[in-house]
Amino acid sequence: SGELYCSLPNPRNVHFESINMKNVLHWSAPEGTGDGVLYKVKYSVYGVGKWIRKPECRNINRTWCDLSSETSDYEEQYYASVKAFLNGMCSDWMETTRFNPLTDTKIDPPMISISSTEKSISIILTAPEKWNRSPEGESVSLLQVYPGLQYNVSVLNKKTKKRWFFSVSNNTLVVPWLEPGTAYCVSAQIHVTTPLLHSGFSKEYCIATLKDKTA
Amino acid sequence: TAGNTIFHFGPCRISMSMTEVRAGFTAIKANIQARDPIRTLSILSHPHSLHKVKSSDRCCIAHHLFNFYVDKVFKHCKTEDSYVNRKISSIANSFLSMKRKLGQCHEQNKCMCGQESAEKFKQILANYKGLNVTSAAIKSLGELDILLDWME
Repeated sequence: SGELYCSLPNPRNVHFESINMKNVLHWSAPEGTGDGVLYKVKYSVYGVGKWIRKPECRNINRTWCDLSSETSDYEEQYYASVKAFLNGMCSDWMETTRFNPLTDTKIDPPMISISSTEKSISIILTAPEKWNRSPEGESVSLLQVYPGLQYNVSVLNKKTKKRWFFSVSNNTLVVPWLEPGTAYCVSAQIHVTTPLLHSGFSKEYCIATLKDKTA
Repeated sequence: TAGNTIFHFGPCRISMSMTEVRAGFTAIKANIQARDPIRTLSILSHPHSLHKVKSSDRCCIAHHLFNFYVDKVFKHCKTEDSYVNRKISSIANSFLSMKRKLGQCHEQNKCMCGQESAEKFKQILANYKGLNVTSAAIKSLGELDILLDWME
């Protein structure tokens, strides 16, 4: 294919960074090369015999390429590869390790909405959605991708600093027997047992229980 | 016990220490897959994906696959790395117990083999025989997550 003489140092650390199955290929510039390096990207489905070029990532000078669309079938596994060009020279193709979207993605924390009564707090948890090709397209919750998905919920009494932890499978949790007129802060994490995946904890959402009307 | 998962393969209900197997495989995945340079051939997923197997055939395919891994894969996966070897034998032990449990269920005629599962497994064996024994075994081991993903 009229390849140039490939003596340029190789791109480094070619790897997928994936969050909620938004799968972006990242790499570092070849050592010792300043500005002006261009790259092209190809990918392949593991077990299928051909490499496919990514036109939107041809002759680019950035060091990332979004392959979410090309790797959206999480029942498949993938490789991707990058080649560098500078002043008529090129590097070798540098490959990722085998990428399994199902086990190699990171998951965002759940969204939380809370409400309170005098003595209880109701917490509604929403798992993030899988990366979606187009906003109009049908959204898929990660709950559908990982049926064993659970939520770890932390509830903190701001006054006494006492904290409780709950592990729930469904997306609602009511915490009873709380003190009226007291501030509580809630944070939650997603936990999938197999494959073993967990998100970080969300930021804290605080709310006060209503004051005791009889007091 | 903690980390055990109950699998329903048709009428067969089998429990397996999935968390342990997954953790063991995750620990050696990069090492094993790096030993498999062949991108263009898969043992389990091409040309027919495990995910397309009908639920009525799940039990028989699972029975064949556990036999396949115990009889044809693990024993040919010796490496020079003792840590990797320990992880492989731990996974093999879990598969051995699954093989026995599924075998008992199969013997009670509860794990019927249809035409599709016979075809599918024949394809897997053909893919396996397309390589020399060691390469085929290492590739099969590197695809363990494909099997585990399908089981779940």
